[in-house]
Amino acid sequence: MDGIYKLKVHGGKLVIVKIGYSDRIERIQILGDFFIHPEESLGLIEASLVGLPARSTREKLSGAVREVAEMEGIEMIGITPDAIAEAALLAMA
Amino acid sequence: MTWRIVGIEEHDAYMNMSIDEAILEHVKSGVAQPTIRFYRWSPSAVSIGRFQSMRDEVNVDRCVELGVTAVRRITGGGAVYHDYSGELTYSVIAPQSMFPKGIRESYEVICGWIIKGLGNAGIDASFAPINDITAGGKKISGNAQTRKDGVLLQHGTILYSLDVSRMFSVLNVSAEKISDKMIKSVEERVTCVLTQRQMSYDALYSNMLKGFCEGKEWEAGNLSGDELDRAAQLRGTYSSDAWNFYR
Repeated sequence: MDGIYKLKVHGGKLVIVKIGYSDRIERIQILGDFFIHPEESLGLIEASLVGLPARSTREKLSGAVREVAEMEGIEMIGITPDAIAEAALLAMA
Repeated sequence: MTWRIVGIEEHDAYMNMSIDEAILEHVKSGVAQPTIRFYRWSPSAVSIGRFQSMRDEVNVDRCVELGVTAVRRITGGGAVYHDYSGELTYSVIAPQSMFPKGIRESYEVICGWIIKGLGNAGIDASFAPINDITAGGKKISGNAQTRKDGVLLQHGTILYSLDVSRMFSVLNVSAEKISDKMIKSVEERVTCVLTQRQMSYDALYSNMLKGFCEGKEWEAGNLSGDELDRAAQLRGTYSSDAWNFYR
């Protein structure tokens, strides 16, 4: 199945999640007017979510994003791990 | 360190983005000075942020009809309509070490130069985090920054005049939303130099130039042959569907 959700981050930017899923997240694209430094690392964030169960908790999804962000020294501006997780879950709702 | 100021130039969207990146590479390798450049978009263009979808954000067919070029920036942020007559664009490209380590703080430093320039023009403006400048509570300037291998690149626009209908015609806003009410809503959130104070485009440029140069050691300069050659190469990427439509 496919889903899409647009979420305005409080005090931040617009985050759009386009997602393909079955019982697991099969593909995900995170779009919007936010900033991620370095820019190339958005692919790592997206990859960190692929394969996780579609029924994951928000904490599980945001934890995966947070972990890769910390490991890779990724700086997120106008977007947060929680916002990505929230938008992903709502795209699959 | 002495800044190089490259005076206002006109290029198409692909070349403008290519020049910014070519300068970044030359600053990184130490062969170019920290640089401030001013430019216009000829023909008028739309740029989208690094993480946006071209097809979602831009009415590509309408752009083709109007001769408006659409390009993806190297920086994040939102879609912007760059009207040839309606805005002044700048880039600042310099070693990161010349700025605060924090990205938010460095936005504030460079936006401070724009605020000085607007102040010189008699417009009272202030920094609106994350990356905007407002006058009378409305957005007058948007800015976007990236950092690559120790070099900071920030580019942004100062809105000189505002044509909301034209802007909506090239950005993907559904027809039913292009109502008088929506246009009014944008005009309530966005302002431009001409709404704030009557002045020529040249006067705005001159005031911005002063705002950016104040307190700095600087010299007027041109792009080097190597930078222009590299920009011409990069133009191939910036004009490619592979880059512009990758999302």
